Formats: sequence, C-alpha cells, structure tokens
Amino acid sequence: MSTTVSTKILTDKKFPFCPGCGHGIAIRNLAKVLQQLGYRPQDVAVVSDIGCSGLIDPLFATHTIHGLHGRSPALGLGVAMGLQQKPGKKTIAFIGDGGATIGLQHILEAARRNVDMTLIVLNNQLYGMTGGQISGLTTRKFKEIIDFETDVPAFNLVHLAHASGARFAARVDHPKQMPEVLKRAVETEGFALIEIASLCTSYAFKRLDELMDVVQEEEVLENPRPATQIRLAERPSLLDRQEIIHKEYEPGRPGRYGFVLAGSAGGGVQSVGKFLATAGMRAGLHATMKGEYPITVGTGFSVAEVIFDHRPIRYTGIDVDFIGVIVTTDGLEKIRKRITPGSRIYLDEKLKDADLPAREVIVRPFTKYVNRKSAALLATAYMLRQEQIIPLEALRETLTKHRLAKVFLETLDKLAELDG
Amino acid sequence: METTQTTLIDGSKLIIESLARSGAQAFVAYPITPSNWMYKYGKQRLPLFLAAPDEITTLQWMAGLSATGVMPVTSSAFPGIALMVESINMAYAMELPMVIIITQRLGPSTGSATTGAQGDLSLLKGIISGGYAVPVLSPSDFVDAWTLANEAVRVALKYRTPVFLLTSKEMVMYQRSFDLNRLPTLRSYDYDREIEGEFKPYKPVRNLTPAFVPLGDDNHLTRFTASTHDEDANIRKNDPEALANSKRLQEKLVQNLDDFFHMDLDTVEGARDLILTWGITADAAREAVQQLRSRGKAVDLLTVKTLLPVHPRIYDIIDGYERTFIAEENLNGQFRQILFGEKTSENILGISKIGNMITPPEIIRAVETQKSLQL
Ligand SMILES: Cc1ncc(C[n+]2csc(CCOP(=O)(O)OP(=O)(O)O)c2C)c(N)n1
Ligand code: SF4
Ligand SMILES: [Mg+2]
Repeated sequence: MSTTVSTKILTDKKFPFCPGCGHGIAIRNLAKVLQQLGYRPQDVAVVSDIGCSGLIDPLFATHTIHGLHGRSPALGLGVAMGLQQKPGKKTIAFIGDGGATIGLQHILEAARRNVDMTLIVLNNQLYGMTGGQISGLTTRKFKEIIDFETDVPAFNLVHLAHASGARFAARVDHPKQMPEVLKRAVETEGFALIEIASLCTSYAFKRLDELMDVVQEEEVLENPRPATQIRLAERPSLLDRQEIIHKEYEPGRPGRYGFVLAGSAGGGVQSVGKFLATAGMRAGLHATMKGEYPITVGTGFSVAEVIFDHRPIRYTGIDVDFIGVIVTTDGLEKIRKRITPGSRIYLDEKLKDADLPAREVIVRPFTKYVNRKSAALLATAYMLRQEQIIPLEALRETLTKHRLAKVFLETLDKLAELDG
Repeated sequence: METTQTTLIDGSKLIIESLARSGAQAFVAYPITPSNWMYKYGKQRLPLFLAAPDEITTLQWMAGLSATGVMPVTSSAFPGIALMVESINMAYAMELPMVIIITQRLGPSTGSATTGAQGDLSLLKGIISGGYAVPVLSPSDFVDAWTLANEAVRVALKYRTPVFLLTSKEMVMYQRSFDLNRLPTLRSYDYDREIEGEFKPYKPVRNLTPAFVPLGDDNHLTRFTASTHDEDANIRKNDPEALANSKRLQEKLVQNLDDFFHMDLDTVEGARDLILTWGITADAAREAVQQLRSRGKAVDLLTVKTLLPVHPRIYDIIDGYERTFIAEENLNGQFRQILFGEKTSENILGISKIGNMITPPEIIRAVETQKSLQL
C-alpha cells in the first residue's frame, strides 16, 4: 500500500462471491453513497465480520479492520468511539444475519449508546459461509420452504434496534430502494442500522422475486436523539487524595499483633478496621487491613483483619494467636473455627454463652451502651485500651479526622460508663 | 520531599494510578469481584471509562479503541476472562496494544469470588490458539504493582500485543501501610508510529513489530485483520509469507524477552535449596526465607515476575541448586508444570494449596522436611 492515498473507495480486487450473490450490490451502492457524500478513503473505517458478508475488507480502499463472527458491531463501536477524537471520520460496520444473531447484544448496545456509526446487515436468510443453516433472522416463510423450525419466528432486528434507541433503523428489501436508504443511514449522526435483503444463490434462491416473497417488510424508524459524544478527559491523581500519616505516638511492646474484628453488615466493622490500622500507623507501626464479607455486602457477617508489626510486614495473613473482638452472632459464627488456644477474645455480653477455645475471653456489655452501628468501635477501643499495644489516643486522633467524628467520639466516651 | 509519605493504600489503586501515568487512556470493564476496586478507580482516573455490557463487548471495544490509537485496559477474573478468550486472540493477531488485568480468585467456575488464588496461569499459557506466547507479568508486592503496571503498558505498546497483569484478590483487595516515596517516577508511553520506508500494515519495522498507523489516519491507509494474513494484511491461508507473519507474533516476544524479563534473586552464601515463587505467595516466601536463615538454614529465593514467555534464565538458576521448591496457590503447581511438566522429581518439589494463602510455616515445613506439600 502506498503513502499516496487515492480517492477511490473500492479497490480493483475481484469480488469473492458466488455468481449472482447479493452481497456485492450493497457494497457497490455503499461506495457510491460515500463518494457522493464526499468521503475520502482515509475518512472511512470499514469494520467487517466473519461469513461471506465478511469477505469484503480487501474490496475497500479505505481503512479496514476484520474481526470475529458476530462482533463487528462491538468492534465497530470501539472504533467509532476512538474516531470521535478525529472529526470528519466515519465508521461503517458490516454483518450477516448469522453474525447479527450471535452478536445481537452488541447491536442493541450500539443502538442504545447511539454513537455515530453505520451498521449494514446483509440478510440472506441463512449462514452462507457454513453451508446454509438458519439464523435468528430467517423468516418463517423461508423456513417453511426448507422445513426448519417453522414454528419459531424471526427477530425483527429493525424494531429491536429502534426500541433500543437507534437514531435510524431501516429495512430495505428491493435493491431499487437501496441507494436512497443507504444514503440516509450514512448521513445519520448517531447509530444507524440498515438491514438489506441479500440473495444467496448457492443456498437460498436463484431469483430476486423468490427472495422478495419471504423477507420481512421494508420500514424506516427513527429516534430523534442527538448522537452521543465520547471525549477523553484528564483526571486528577488517585494519590492526591491519600492521607499521609505520621508517627505521633509511641507504641507499647514491640511485636507482631493480629486483630480480628467480627460483627455484622452495617456495624461499621470495615471502617473500624481501617481506623485501627491507621491508629497503628500513627504509633509508628506497620499495618495491614483486610476485609471479609459475603458477596451480598448488606447482610450477614463482616470481618476485618488487622495486623500491626514493628517490622515491615511481609506475609499478610494472621499466622499468630490473635486478639478478637466479637460483637454479633454473625461475626462469632464466622470466626469461631479460627480461634486458637492462644487467642484472646473481647466478647459482647449477649454472646457470653459461646463456648470459645481461647486463652482468655473478656466479656463486656458493649451493646448495652451503644447501638449496633457503634458496638464494634466501642469494643475495639476497649480492647485497645486494655492491650496497650498502641495508645488509645492514636485511635481518637484518627476518628477526629473523620466527617462523622462527633458520633465516633461520643462512642469513645462510653468507655467510662463501661468501666462504671 | 519528606523522607516518608506513609499512607494506608491498596494494590488496585496503585495499579490504576500507574496505568494512567504510563499512558493508558481508557478503562473498559464489566464488574466482577475481585476486580471491583479496579473498576471504581478506573472510573475515577482514566481519561475514558466505559461500562461494557459483558466481557466480549469489553474486549471488542478495547480492540476498536486501540486500533484508533486509544490505549485501553480492563480488569476481570476467570469467568470474564473465559468470555474474552476469542477476542483476546483477535487482538493478539491484529497486534493491538492493551493491558488485561486478571484478579485471580478461587475456581473452578464461579468458585468463590472473594477467595484469592493463583489458578489462571495455565489458562494463559495456552490462551492463544496454536500455543503462541503472550506476555504475563505478575507483581509480587506493591512496588511491583506500580512498576509492572507501567511495564505492561510499555510492552503492550512497544510490541503491539495484549499484555496480562496477573494479580490476585490478596494483592488488590486489602490495604497496608506503605511509603509512597518507594514508588519510582514513571515514564509515559505511546503507540510507536514511526514508519520506515513504504508502509505496510504488518511489515515488521523494529523489534519484529510493525509500525502503528491508527484507523482514520490521514496520510496512510491501514488494515487490521485477525485472519491469517501477509504483510499487506491480505488474508492468506497457509502460504509461506502468511505463516511467517504468524510465527513472527511469537518470535517478537520470545526474541525480545530480555527486554521485559523481571525477577528478583535473593541469595546467601552456601545455599543448596531454592524457593521459587510468584505473585501473592512471594510475601509468605520472603518471610519463610528470613526465618529459615535466622535459624541457620541457608536458602535462596527466586521471585519470578515475568512468568510468560518462560525465560531460559530460570532454568539456569534452578540448575545451580540441589533442590527447588516451587510455591504457588493452586492445586497442582501451575508454574512448576509449565517449567517441568507433570512429572515430579526429587529436585523439583511443589508447595501448593487452594482456598487460603500459603503460610510461611508451610513453606518452612516443606523445606525442612524436603518434601512436596499439597494442601
Ligand atoms: C464464534 C464462531 N462460531 C461459529 C463460527 C462459524 N461461522 C463462520 S461464518 C458463520 C455464519 C455466517 O453467516 P452470516 O453471518 O449470515 O454471513 P453470510 O455467510 O451468510 O454472509 C459461522 C456460523 C465462527 N466463525 N465463529
Ligand atoms: S454462499 Fe451465498 S452468501 Fe456466500 S457468496 Fe455464495 S451466494 Fe453469496
Ligand atoms: Mg447470512
């Protein structure tokens, strides 16, 4: 290919179709329309599918991209979105009725998004390339002739595209109508689908009038909506919003500590885990925080694992006896099996009958003083004060920085009542 | 600058920030755990974000964007990657740069979405029909997450290929205290558009890789195709020029592997045992090695970060030891099997496990008893 770009839309290559195949007619008509509308080859990207209708990229002297079976509407939309960065470019994708069946989702999605592109569906009522099998667009009339699933109707692709939001959706049966409707499709600013009846002389009919007897009706449907614009925008660094934490407190005994905070969804356990890790960092410790919760985050258990270490943390699992804080039955059941004989557990009074194999179980009525949203925080603060691994002040300082500081600090004040 | 900039941060954020600084322009994805933090950050950070309706669409949009010169990335887990496979082959054959992050989770099938794993490496070994090589980079810690995300963009653009960044739930969905000053400044990369002589869409120009001309270019017409093709992108079946082009897809990566092979080798005097690991098991292996050494056991640690294509240097290193323990969180030892096949030997032992991270004591146990461990 040379660096001098010609003005011709089509190459001189011989059409690869069987004699009388309808696919070539659509291609010649498209080339004329593009030329009429003043498109230069370098302004057009032709996206092709797999099938006889996909053998077309060598025929175009434009930019071309030839992908997979059924995916040209999606590949084409990707191209169209990219080409929005360069004004004056047009994306034209081709697909067969078979491709439209396997890739139906892509067509509906492109219609819904309404980014500027044209999709030409060459509907020959069958899978030409693989030997004439039926597609989702094969009509019952044709299926009666070939005795195939006669009770299953065809999709009405034009209606589906229209209902999904396509700016323009049309069906053309007779080649006479083709230039005019193709022109309207290409001129459309937004997503335009044009389904074109095409003759497969090898597996369907020899004559056009036979095809005309089985096809769906011609129609043109429009949605008066503007084309969606795709723009790239610079966005701020994610690190700009990162809180930098300095050592402000002295830690207690050096070592590695694992904390397991166990409660229920909605109990703030994940936030408390983060506060605890941050508080550790304020005391100069290395920290990790891992959350565990069911996929349906709004229900069931919520567990936060926090590790403190005076040395850099390599392995991030809790591989030592841990300090547990358990405030609900969900939390208890989730971590019960993990409790080692060397662990120490802070347990809400309501769970006091749980028979835990820990070295020490400290039972306090956390939920008596605060509601279920704050129990994990109160219990964790209590634990922290007892354990003296880091000063409670480091946690208080962390909470002070939060937008809900007032509520959190009120919770901390309940420590005095717990003591009383 | 201050000496430390310690913050509580997660691996997903570091990866997405790095990708953005490295030249990635579009984040296209369909939600799946454990990639959801990537999705959230991708939306906040990349110049273009697209919520695709499924993973096939994701890959197709990425391919379309990349063909116009907009560098795309996505993040998914096995169920989504499985849907992408045909389209990944397409992008590979078309030679379209893109980065695909995999956040591994426990399989088979839907498995367990919030449980980590290292179980998708075998899939990547064979993901390109015909067994062609594709670059797979796997971070072993947060600094790697930052630098290998950058490397993934560089390699994707330089060699015009999809690149996998193979992570795991345990890398991308937890937070740790981390000094941001440990992150090196990153270079940003772009498509290599420098044409030499007459332009042909698939004529190799540098590093066995063709120059990139985007769709819509005003000066040159280009063609992309996923079918077997010659330098002009003409579809050819098995003619010699087309087959040579297909072979080049593999050769450009294998012959230039030195350019993107990454590993850490941590050695001590007199070690006869080597622990070889990758990805999320590396943290446990580092801890195990430290503890073994403090007990007087000399043991070396090889952390491989470019897993595929396999660099022959890995074999040279292994040859220097009496025994190599390969530790990874999957059922049968996928990297071990890629390196040595299914036959086990006295010299090549495996430490494998599913459902939980391999722990330092487990690695220590294997080394001390000199036995494979399958947990
Ligand atoms: C994923 C996938 N499934 C199946 C095929 C095999 N295949 C090739 S072409 C084709 C049908 C083509 O029919 P259509 O899209 O109507 O195009 P036509 O040949 O009729 O122009 C099929 C099923 C494929 N290439 N890819
Ligand atoms: S098989 Fe049918 S669709 Fe394919 S080229 Fe021949 S006539 Fe056309
Ligand atoms: Mg067809």
